[in-house]
Amino acid sequence: MKHVVKILSLLVAVSAFWIVLLQAAIVPQSHTWLLPIYFVVSLGCYGLLMVGIGIMQFPTCPQEAVLLNHDIAEAKDFFLSTNGIDIGTY
Amino acid sequence: MELADRAVGLLLSSISLSIFTYYTFWVIILPFVDSDHFIHKYFLPQDYAILVPVFSGVTLLSLLSVFIGMVMLKSKKKKA
Repeated sequence: MKHVVKILSLLVAVSAFWIVLLQAAIVPQSHTWLLPIYFVVSLGCYGLLMVGIGIMQFPTCPQEAVLLNHDIAEAKDFFLSTNGIDIGTY
Repeated sequence: MELADRAVGLLLSSISLSIFTYYTFWVIILPFVDSDHFIHKYFLPQDYAILVPVFSGVTLLSLLSVFIGMVMLKSKKKKA
């Protein structure tokens, strides 16, 4: 419950700030009307950017891949020798 | 393969960065530029700056809900 309250209060604070900005007219009013959409679009862009960076930096472990293939071959042989179950190849 | 991953990640980040800069230019910088500057040729009229994100957002939400609805219907049909 507390987390929802936090998020809701953040939303209320942001909308209050937006309304104050509209009334005070420091920035031209036509600009201020576009601010929420701009922030939503930039949030989506930021998410995409983080996903792209994460994909680029994902580490590969080639030694582990070799060991894993070893384990798979071993398991296939084990099943074949003990129970005659032939997993074979896909 | 590592190279394919890097290429996909680079493509995704470049797309997001270009969308961000184009939209920032469109919404924030362009209203302050004189209306007979040449750069206005490269940007659609400002009304589209609201229509395009809202329209794509609504399309995305409706596609998501259609997908969820189809999955729910399929699971219910399988149980009954």
